[in-house]
Amino acid sequence: MRRRFWVVALFAVLAMVAAACGGGATTTTTAAPATTAATTTTAPTTTTTAATTTTEAPPSPKTIIIGTTDTIAEFDSADAYSVRDWEIIRNTGVGLLTFAPGTTDLVPGIAKSYDVSDDGKTYTFHLRDDVKFGDGLALTAPMYVDHIHRMLTLDGSGGVGGALGTPYIDTVSAPDDLTVVFQLKDAFGYFPQIVAGAPYIPMDPNQFPQDALVEFPDPPFYGVGPWTVTDYTIGEQMVLEPNEFYFGDKPKVDRIIIKDYSDAQTMALALQNHEIDIAWRTIAQPDLLEQLKGVDGLTVATVPGGSIRYLIINHALSPTDDSNVRKALAYALDRDDIVDRVSGGTWEPLYSMDPPGFLGATEAFDTMYGSPNLDKAKEALKAAGYSESNKLELQLSFPPQHYGGTVSDTMQVLKEQFEATGMINVTLNSQEWSTYIGAVIGGADYTVSLLGWFFDYPDPSNYLEPFVLNGGLGTMVTDPDTGEALSDEAANLVDLLKQAATSTDQAKRADLYGQAQDVYADLVVTIPMWFEAEHVIYWDNISGSATDANPQSLNIGPSFDLNYALLDITG
Amino acid sequence: MIGIPAGIALLYVFVRGSAGLRRYVITRVLLTIPMIFILASLVFLVLRAIPGDPVTSSLGPKGSPELKQRLRTELGLEDPMIVQYGRFLGEVVTLDFGRSLVGGRRRIVDEMGERFPATLELIVPAALMALLLGIVPGTFAASRRRRTADYSLRLYSVIVYSMPIFWLGLLLQLLFAVHLGWVPVAGRIDAVVGTTVHRTTNILLIDTLLTGNWPAFWSVVHHLILPVITLGLILSGVFLRLTRINVIETLQQDYITAARARGVKEWVVVYRHALKNAMIPVITLIGLQVAILLAGAVLTETVFSWPGMGRYLVERISVRDYTAVQSVITMFAIFVALISLAVDIVYSLLDPRVRY
Repeated sequence: MRRRFWVVALFAVLAMVAAACGGGATTTTTAAPATTAATTTTAPTTTTTAATTTTEAPPSPKTIIIGTTDTIAEFDSADAYSVRDWEIIRNTGVGLLTFAPGTTDLVPGIAKSYDVSDDGKTYTFHLRDDVKFGDGLALTAPMYVDHIHRMLTLDGSGGVGGALGTPYIDTVSAPDDLTVVFQLKDAFGYFPQIVAGAPYIPMDPNQFPQDALVEFPDPPFYGVGPWTVTDYTIGEQMVLEPNEFYFGDKPKVDRIIIKDYSDAQTMALALQNHEIDIAWRTIAQPDLLEQLKGVDGLTVATVPGGSIRYLIINHALSPTDDSNVRKALAYALDRDDIVDRVSGGTWEPLYSMDPPGFLGATEAFDTMYGSPNLDKAKEALKAAGYSESNKLELQLSFPPQHYGGTVSDTMQVLKEQFEATGMINVTLNSQEWSTYIGAVIGGADYTVSLLGWFFDYPDPSNYLEPFVLNGGLGTMVTDPDTGEALSDEAANLVDLLKQAATSTDQAKRADLYGQAQDVYADLVVTIPMWFEAEHVIYWDNISGSATDANPQSLNIGPSFDLNYALLDITG
Repeated sequence: MIGIPAGIALLYVFVRGSAGLRRYVITRVLLTIPMIFILASLVFLVLRAIPGDPVTSSLGPKGSPELKQRLRTELGLEDPMIVQYGRFLGEVVTLDFGRSLVGGRRRIVDEMGERFPATLELIVPAALMALLLGIVPGTFAASRRRRTADYSLRLYSVIVYSMPIFWLGLLLQLLFAVHLGWVPVAGRIDAVVGTTVHRTTNILLIDTLLTGNWPAFWSVVHHLILPVITLGLILSGVFLRLTRINVIETLQQDYITAARARGVKEWVVVYRHALKNAMIPVITLIGLQVAILLAGAVLTETVFSWPGMGRYLVERISVRDYTAVQSVITMFAIFVALISLAVDIVYSLLDPRVRY
């Protein structure tokens, strides 16, 4: 029996070891190289430092730790298509133009200047002569052109080339080492905004070959910007250190560490516990924000959001094919009520798809509908043939989880608001995202549904065109296959948007977008509801640049760039 | 690696075991293969029975029709279901699950490999803690049957087992991290200290020990405390109740009565004679609890931002990366099946009645 006991004990241990070894067949052979490689590169510097701490303390690098719940998808600017990826690319690289900190104003980047031809189709950029990648490789115009070709042709799963390159660029060339010439397919007035975006930021050809995407290069990896990624452990943290070859001002700290969190609640606790210095993207829950506002030494700064929420209206299905029904909904909607009751005031009401601060933004829906205006809503419903005894049966569709935990509450408030007319009977239709999104943007099944949007480049065209052209992501004001407008008013809207997009005169563009927003509101293509402010929360020993715009929000402005090089820490 | 303990068990069986035992083990091994096959097939079918297009849902409103079509073709989603199924089974056999649907479309096996060491680092100590907190108090409760200690420990076991992991984790975070400041809230290692670690196995306890990086080692230990307590406490309830019941049954055996009659000390009777025999069904439970352990790890990793397989699974579910989801679930299933196999072999060694 004694021997059996030890056999039992041995196998109990073996069961545990099995757990410890299980899956190792998969992991060690495949994953170890990536992880090891990722860390080996930084180990010589950092491990040596740590090893010597027992005898003599080296000076500690001035470090800022940023927490985030966003996940990294990839680092290759020719393919990356998410906000977090772009933030890293924009801190490790610089485009031909870039956004002035805290604004959407364009300033020179790696191009000193640029010229536009009279027809608006040719952009000639003149590069600086002191631009180098982090490994010392000097950037030339042909290299930049190669990057653009790479972005246009490799066009991986994110489709960034297909979305932000191919529609605009006819050819790109380098007549000499310091000149890049874009020949556009048409005159796109917002091309400079696109050029300032992450996809147009060049990557080091030594690390990003012309014929293949490199989604996760082994650190250190470089751009021509102020930072180099020196270490990255997936799901844990990323370490950035200054690029010694950067042509601009040196960063104010020696190291930025970006630490990953799985949810906002945990990140908020970690911030309170001083495990991180800054929480950026995303703490949006009103109760959490209130809690953090009450903590001494913490600043909760708000950045006007680029992320908007709206009701997408299907113009091809009954009953929303009737303009009176659409207008009745626009009249009945009370944005302030939603913002107050659901978000605790952390959102901002939105009266146009073009958010405040963007070129030509108006408040067309407020001007036109003065919402809420229940009397006008009832009039419109009567005009559509509805009454208290013959109510409009309306289905409101939404994905219960995709936009966070407040969606169901929002839809309930909407239901109450529409039903307050006494002439609408609302049914809420909750659908899982994978089913929902395909049906909505395909123009099928759902008449009124909730969607969200975040810009690819900070220009009104990116907030208006997608909802009008090529089926309008389910609005069906134009034909998804032919692009043809399906009503006179829609045709007018398409014409205005095209004129605005192809004009290079910004004042004229602003005027055209103003007109377009009026037509958009009258047609009720969609119903904008609110934009979600972003919040950056930081301890009082952290600061951004006091001389740039929006120092309170660490110079994060409407372009949503957190510029790590401007951050500083004291104490 | 997973074959090492099972291999040792098999070797032992074939060298020292009887013909009946060998026959049982061979049968059990052969049964595991269809078990894995059925599990993998279920995962495949369930994920395809879920309505919606995975490509559309992962790309959202911004994916162009051309891009979606190309991605569907690249992923083989245009192929007949039977072709997809065959390809999936091939992936299961080779343990190469293809590429992720989202982001950089990395090889899923690479992504799982990066995450699995973190999960191991969490579940092994949590399992040990669950055993410790289950077996010792369970035996004690049995020895104090129907007394205050017994009732208290039974109440404890019910409470901890019924506690939601999210709730318990948050409670511990608030108390021990935020208010008392004894331990960190989340993560595997302090951010700054983490830059000093040379990762070889990516099991940080081992890596920091091997390099003698003591500040990093203690940081890892500190970070392990709350998640291990959370997961270990939750699981300890089951072990406590099972141990108690088995020890009570064993204490009613004749040989125990005889031992007591001989004047053997009570603690020797309980902890050396009764517990030893009561442990046999507990061993079986260890195997069964691996599945619960992994499920608990999913929640614990989410609460503590622990970068393991569980958090990876949750992340990928949220972005509808269904190729990654089916791969992780399949790997979990294989893992549980193999652990069950190893436990059954051990059990057959100990109790000849289970042999065919």
